[in-house]
Amino acid sequence: MPTNLQAGESDAVGQRRWVWPGLALPGVVWLLLLFVVPFYAIFAVAMGRTDPIFNRPVPEWNPVYWDVSSFSRVIGDLFGGQLGTIAVRTVIYVAVASFLCLLLGYPVAYFVSRRSGRWRGLWLLAILTPFWINYLMRMMAWINLLSPGAQVDRAFFLFGLDPPSWLAGQHYVVILGLVYGYIPFLILPLFGALDRIDERTLEAAQDLGASPARTFWRVTLPLSKQGILAGLVIIMLPMFGDYYTPNLLSGSPRNVMMGNTIDQFINQTTSQGGTGAALTIVLMLFVAVLMAYYLVTIGRAAKEARE
Amino acid sequence: MVYHPRENWSPARRKRVYTRRDFLQRAALLGIAVPALPSLLAACAERDAEEGVELAIGTPANPVQQPLFEDNPAIESGLSDEEGPLQLYNWADYINQDVVIAAQDALGVEIEITTFFNEEEAIQKISSGEVQFDVWFPTSQVVPKSVSGRLLQPLNLDYIPNLEQYVWPSLANPYYDQGSRYTVPYVLYSTGIAWRVDQVDSADIEGHANAWDVFWNDKYAGIAGLYDSYTDAIAMALFRNGLGDPSQASEAEVAAAADSLIELTELMNVRYTIDGAYVQIPEGRMGLHQAWSGDIINSQYYFPEDGDPSVMRYAWPARIEGTSVNAAISSDTMAIPVGAQRPVLAHKFLNFMLDEESALLNFEWVGYQPPQKGIDTDLLIQDEWVPEYLAAAVVREEDFELDTAWVQGQLDIATETLWSDQWNRVKAGG
Repeated sequence: MPTNLQAGESDAVGQRRWVWPGLALPGVVWLLLLFVVPFYAIFAVAMGRTDPIFNRPVPEWNPVYWDVSSFSRVIGDLFGGQLGTIAVRTVIYVAVASFLCLLLGYPVAYFVSRRSGRWRGLWLLAILTPFWINYLMRMMAWINLLSPGAQVDRAFFLFGLDPPSWLAGQHYVVILGLVYGYIPFLILPLFGALDRIDERTLEAAQDLGASPARTFWRVTLPLSKQGILAGLVIIMLPMFGDYYTPNLLSGSPRNVMMGNTIDQFINQTTSQGGTGAALTIVLMLFVAVLMAYYLVTIGRAAKEARE
Repeated sequence: MVYHPRENWSPARRKRVYTRRDFLQRAALLGIAVPALPSLLAACAERDAEEGVELAIGTPANPVQQPLFEDNPAIESGLSDEEGPLQLYNWADYINQDVVIAAQDALGVEIEITTFFNEEEAIQKISSGEVQFDVWFPTSQVVPKSVSGRLLQPLNLDYIPNLEQYVWPSLANPYYDQGSRYTVPYVLYSTGIAWRVDQVDSADIEGHANAWDVFWNDKYAGIAGLYDSYTDAIAMALFRNGLGDPSQASEAEVAAAADSLIELTELMNVRYTIDGAYVQIPEGRMGLHQAWSGDIINSQYYFPEDGDPSVMRYAWPARIEGTSVNAAISSDTMAIPVGAQRPVLAHKFLNFMLDEESALLNFEWVGYQPPQKGIDTDLLIQDEWVPEYLAAAVVREEDFELDTAWVQGQLDIATETLWSDQWNRVKAGG
């Protein structure tokens, strides 16, 4: 965009040149204080030492004394070690949970945005109200529902079925917890995207002889792609760092996610705080790659739209 | 941030002055100069003073005095009270609100309580110096490091006559802090096994020389849990494997204990929890869990309305007849952090808490028992403070003397690191 301005620079533009950066200044300061500094702090902890009395990480602020052993430990363990198993498990959990969110969330978003008529507001409200309640409280409610002999089990008994021990370290229970916890954050951007689709494009497709299914595949779905991506990014980022869902709904080592490991390094076995910090950064980089893919796709789509 | 003893640290020196050049140099590294930065950067100064810190870690057979430091004196006797409010720093739900109210009346000040989630967090906050609490409730397992790390100030026992008068002699002068230089005892606990009789056969625990083995009994797969605490879990596995004093276990023995725990993930589908003993057993989500005695006395109040608390049982393997395994027993303390703003009131509060009446009132709600001479442990059961079926959860002074008891204290740093490493292996799922 700046290209146009550079071509015909006038005095007025010259004066205005500082206005927008000036307005951005508070945001930049904010970002520096609340992102760059904390990020450096995590880095300093990862590169730091362990205190000889409390056996706890001491940040090393001076790059001259940086010690990369935490990073090499994390990288080594990620490829072939236990961290690798946990990383794969985390990716699978997040992938399956996100896919299920999309599978369940897309029809809901579609229905509410295009088919719910005058009840639309009410539908949206119905989707959102449960999420006024704190995430932890909702997970605890699930614990009650899934406890032995509780409501879910009774529903199974009704059909003469023998319910499994839901809370005894089941992969699918943790995944369902993730789905339940994050799905509204996928529905909302999706709702926005579907809502913005111009009705006339769909009519045009049908006028040109496309069946409803074909219209959906060729018009609606591609036009909602940005909403899907935005929704997926919004739910996947926090899922990768999630640790309380497996903690509450399982507690078994076989459901441990990346977030649990970081939590443990930093809060429990503090002598490994540096490793925890290094792992945090590695996870951040991984998530940043996903984020970058999203940004590139969005950028490309925006460019196509302009052309 | 931790201050090293060799640095001759004192509160006055904490606000160490940086030269402008120092500061600019460091600020330049960050590319920015933030007001809070100098205090963050103070950590740099420690780099060179690292090696050779001797912590005074005692055992009952080898009691220790905690070191005193010239620049960290106790308060003088006979000082007058400061203005309130008195700031307590405690675990959640670890003091009876009625006792706090009684203490407010007795001391004539407001009392405010801040809670911490785990001890690592508490140490982190106190050592940062950002918050100043007047009274802290550390476990005896962190007393040596807290003293050497200059988190605690010495006590002036002139203010605390109740220590001598009411507290068990063995804990009025405890092995980990001879002469009660820095701490007074708070409550006691043994670490054993809790179960529901409607899900677990008591004979599998009480009838066994190795009671800990019940956690490897796959009859109980899916209903068994251990504490999500590496010291407790690994110590338990070491006992089960036949070790008497976990703190002396070799690297290979600790690794073997970790392997034994890893086995549980598949064999028992074991879960690691903090509330498993006192919440999940009453709610029927667990049938069998490693347990602190105080949690179990408390558990009666966590049964659902239609539940029957009398299904609950507790055993401390060290006291099971014919036992071949050891088990842990320990105590928590009360102490005054170095930066306390109201040390006189804090001393008086400790004295108040050691009074028999307040100690008993506190036990009534907290479930963890105070080491009081006047509290006859048999009477606790007779007078229904503790139900008959949980009698094993009562801690007696002589329990600390049993050959099968491991009085759990601080692990030295190398052992702590070794256990941490192995624990991470356990928690990663094997």
